[in-house]
Amino acid sequence: MSIYDRAITVFSPDGHLFQVEYAQEAVKKGSTAVGIRGKDIVVLGVEKKSVAKLQEERTVRKICALDEHVCMAFAGLTADARIVINRARVECQSHRLTVEDPVTVEYITRHIATLKQRYTQSNGRRPFGISALIVGFDYDGTPRLYQTDPSGTYHAWKANAIGRSAKTVREFLEKNYTDEAIATDNEAIKLAIKALLEVVQSGGKNIDLAVIRRNQPLKLLESKEIETLVAEIEKEKEDEAEKKKQKKST
Amino acid sequence: MATFFGEVLSVYSRAVEEDDDDLDDENEDERIHREIEEKREVHIVWCPEVAQSLEDSGSNTLQCSDLIIAVGTNAAGFLSAYVLNTESWDAVGHVSLWNERSRGSSRQSIAPLPGEPACLFYRHRDNPAVLVCQSTCYIAEDQLFQWTEKVFGCLQKRGLSVMVLSDSPVAEYKTPDYLYGSAVPFLRSLKSSASKGQALCPALEQPNILTGLPAAVLSHCQVHQIPAVLYQCYTDVISPDSITMETYKPALLCLSKLVKLEPCLSADVLRKFAIITEAQSNLYT
Repeated sequence: MSIYDRAITVFSPDGHLFQVEYAQEAVKKGSTAVGIRGKDIVVLGVEKKSVAKLQEERTVRKICALDEHVCMAFAGLTADARIVINRARVECQSHRLTVEDPVTVEYITRHIATLKQRYTQSNGRRPFGISALIVGFDYDGTPRLYQTDPSGTYHAWKANAIGRSAKTVREFLEKNYTDEAIATDNEAIKLAIKALLEVVQSGGKNIDLAVIRRNQPLKLLESKEIETLVAEIEKEKEDEAEKKKQKKST
Repeated sequence: MATFFGEVLSVYSRAVEEDDDDLDDENEDERIHREIEEKREVHIVWCPEVAQSLEDSGSNTLQCSDLIIAVGTNAAGFLSAYVLNTESWDAVGHVSLWNERSRGSSRQSIAPLPGEPACLFYRHRDNPAVLVCQSTCYIAEDQLFQWTEKVFGCLQKRGLSVMVLSDSPVAEYKTPDYLYGSAVPFLRSLKSSASKGQALCPALEQPNILTGLPAAVLSHCQVHQIPAVLYQCYTDVISPDSITMETYKPALLCLSKLVKLEPCLSADVLRKFAIITEAQSNLYT
């Protein structure tokens, strides 16, 4: 196996591109990010990385705006993400100036995915070690959520997770993403927090949340707001447990 | 030798050197070999009480019913967090050795500092037949046999049972199937034929092999018919990590029969033993 994973451009006899698959392992080393597409809102939640004591917290960000109406969260190699984000930002502005319209979420996702794919097919270069969740609203008002991975594939999702415990979070979302769960903006945000709380240790203070509402710019929630929402969720959970207990005893 | 000009010259033979030089060279070689051997010798330094018990016993051995060896930072961290965290363990000795990767103190009497890679022995106060060994330093291949012989030479063979916990990178695990991320870290076991009980996890599949100290210990136990079980944890993290340490939890079942363990462990205590390099490493976000 090892002789087929040296150069990126070599297929193995059974059709694997090992460097791309190994790049996907690098993504799993990043902390979890979750994206939820609501009716009038899109939500991105990330597990905050623990920051060194002397480090400025502001400079360790997993959620970045690509334009006023599009933002992304990534998981994987920090430096690779910076390059991808810069290229995407330039493309967003170039698009605005060239065709006088903001990019659609699909367009910018396709641009990022094409960039990533190019790096899986050139010699001497390794793939980008990041997966991205890209959310935003198109100018016709439709909310969108896309996910890209190191191989350069991209798909639209209703809700998805990437990073360290993505599988657990995705299973939670598959069970709990219902129309009534995303009925209101607040409910969609709480679903994102609930999904992250499945895998984040020590609760609300390790969660960062960003939302985009239709025709409004990106908003990063403050930690106080997140703590309030976490407290609400905890209370709901307790009420649920109480009700169950009462049901059992009657 | 005849030269071109017809004269005869006597030649020095290059085949045989003069006796004096020969002896010196040999001595020098021997001396160097001996010095290297001495430098690489493995010394076990026991605390005074244990040294006394060794002397008092006729055979220079300690009575030991259970020896638990942890090889690697995660295995050692697991034992520190789950077993050695109560106050009832005494540090009773350490192994002092030198090799290119473990430049231990050449003076044996100095105990290793906490946090340094080392090989330490602990004994339970209430049950002195239970010994724990935490080995976080690298032991070279040529020193493994010595280590095993000297350590097991201090223990009575009768009634001895050994458990080894060892870390290994998952990159060295060979399997025909693709390993999904959620499966890692995981445990595999290996037993000596004298070991009768059920292992708590699947056995190590072929063609995977053990190397290093765990292999030396298990080989010794197999040869001397000592019941021994080894739990190898394959992990994808190179530094001590709390999730990897928790993978050894099934071993607590056996350990709780030997000594009293702390009932529940808060995540904070575990995190203390996991290196906080995560904060400094900005490679992944």
